Amino acid sequence: MKPKHLLFLLTFAILATLLSGCAGGGATAASSWPGLTVDEENAYLAYNTYVYAIQLSNGSLKWRYPSEANRTVSFYADPALSPDGQLIVGGYNHVLYGLDPKTGSMKWDFLQANNRYIASPLVVEQGIFAPNSDDTLYALDLSGNLRWKFNAKGESWARPVTGQACDCIYLSSMDHHLYALDPADGSVIWQSEDLGGAMVGMPALSETGSLYIGTFDSEVLALNSQNGEILWRVPTEDWVWSGPTLAGDRLFVGDLAGNFYALNAGNGETIWQLTPGQLDGPIVGSPLVIDDSIYFGSESGTLYAVDTSGEIQWTQTTGGKLYTSPKQAGDLILVAPIQSEELLIAFDRDGAKKWAFVPEPKK
Amino acid sequence: MWNSLILDPMVNSLLWIYNVLANNFGLAIIVFTILVRLITYPLTSQQMKSTQKMQELQKSKKWQEMQKKYKDNREQMAQEQMKLYKEMGVSPFGSCLPTLIQFPIIIGLYQAIIRALAVTPIQLLDLSNHVYPFINAAALIPLRNYFLWMDLSLPEKDHGLAIAGFGLPILAILVVVSTFLQSKLMTPPSTTGDQGAQMSKAMNLYMPLFMGYLAYSFPSGLALYFVTSNLAGVLQYAIMGKLDWRNLIPRKPA
Repeated sequence: MKPKHLLFLLTFAILATLLSGCAGGGATAASSWPGLTVDEENAYLAYNTYVYAIQLSNGSLKWRYPSEANRTVSFYADPALSPDGQLIVGGYNHVLYGLDPKTGSMKWDFLQANNRYIASPLVVEQGIFAPNSDDTLYALDLSGNLRWKFNAKGESWARPVTGQACDCIYLSSMDHHLYALDPADGSVIWQSEDLGGAMVGMPALSETGSLYIGTFDSEVLALNSQNGEILWRVPTEDWVWSGPTLAGDRLFVGDLAGNFYALNAGNGETIWQLTPGQLDGPIVGSPLVIDDSIYFGSESGTLYAVDTSGEIQWTQTTGGKLYTSPKQAGDLILVAPIQSEELLIAFDRDGAKKWAFVPEPKK
Repeated sequence: MWNSLILDPMVNSLLWIYNVLANNFGLAIIVFTILVRLITYPLTSQQMKSTQKMQELQKSKKWQEMQKKYKDNREQMAQEQMKLYKEMGVSPFGSCLPTLIQFPIIIGLYQAIIRALAVTPIQLLDLSNHVYPFINAAALIPLRNYFLWMDLSLPEKDHGLAIAGFGLPILAILVVVSTFLQSKLMTPPSTTGDQGAQMSKAMNLYMPLFMGYLAYSFPSGLALYFVTSNLAGVLQYAIMGKLDWRNLIPRKPA
């Protein structure tokens, strides 16, 4: 080959490599925030190339899956614990895994989906209900065998919910609709009207039969869980990302403008509101309510503890961005920041840092 | 700076066109590409003029004599070439500078397509910060990323058109062919056989392959931009009466 041709080829190869780097398509470029779930002994954190099992007693690593990183495999959805002792986790590689939560070994995998698992699966006695970004909700038995599937008109990024009010699976979709499905065969019991915007949050379900959801149309809505009829709708300043948290007769929810609202679940009236002047960034994750305290994180990485009257009790900075909803683990509040060395931080109920999990540097 | 001057206007233009075109993102990319072509027309025109001047210069008697006279003294030849460029008012970079200026536009468009499609939570969160208030984002998002057989958010290497069980990279092939056609039709074959001609010959050979590689590896939305842009370029030349199909036939250097 002539030297000039070789020079051209080299130039193009370098350009291609540079552009590929910009693409961020590899698993090492995080495209979401950590998924987190807890049992009595461990926290299970899904982030980028690994699912980590972290001991709640001291924040040390118990196992990670896979044991060695694979660029084509990444995890961001909240893992889900099954009633028969499995850890179910969906990957961005289109695969849903059944893992042994004691060892992290794989028991089965489900390969029939065509896109990423951004949503966490709902796992109950009846089986696994796993929304995928191919617009499909896959219903599996607890061994990972397909039972049925339901096609919506858009992706679903939120875990479906179920409750006592009816034998239903409620699915929020980015196609602007909420669906109530029969868990036996996936048939549609009802479908809401177009709610005005995409929903990526999980609905909150009350025992009295109301469903609460926030939308990208900057609204929080209450629907009748029996027929999907809208009971009330109230505006927020900006998009509502995660679903509201229901505690008693109150709903707690944040928006992307950085407001945090306490709403009357009965009629949507604002009881109190923290404004962007009082908070330091957009609220993405759902709040965690324990007794009389409400915990939520902001994009600026601050964890807020607020009492039921809207008074800020304490704040803690995490040094990253907080998009993942905080989780309770006994007396601990767990938060999983991104763009921070510490992937998981445990605070006590007074805001004192107890431990932090820092993964081993990549070899 | 990059965001506010290049990326945000591109993303919002794409969203606006998408809305006007009944939520068809493929058509939005095509219309947007044609608009970008029209906006960058002065650059294309300048590039054409420079190329034409250069070709005239290379055909001139003075140039040919100089080539013969200094064929064994490259340094002296380079000096004489520069003198001649000055004398004739030709810039040796006049034809490649407009092309280089278009690179940031291509990169901006690539980023705009990825940002607008927002297929992951971080991308969607990022998009929410860059949508202008007059765009009704709530009604538009998420964008429908399917156009013909393509998922515009995925590269063809993951999502080629399945024919007889094989995923064929149709779009990447179209990019290679249309880039080759465009470069051949717009760069008349040189008859001088000098260094510049050899360079342009090598470019004509490797550029389509490079673009094809990009089309194969990057989301199909970008490949759709490449094909549209190439065809729009050929059409632009045809309208200006500059198109010469004979350029496709190889000629022997003089």
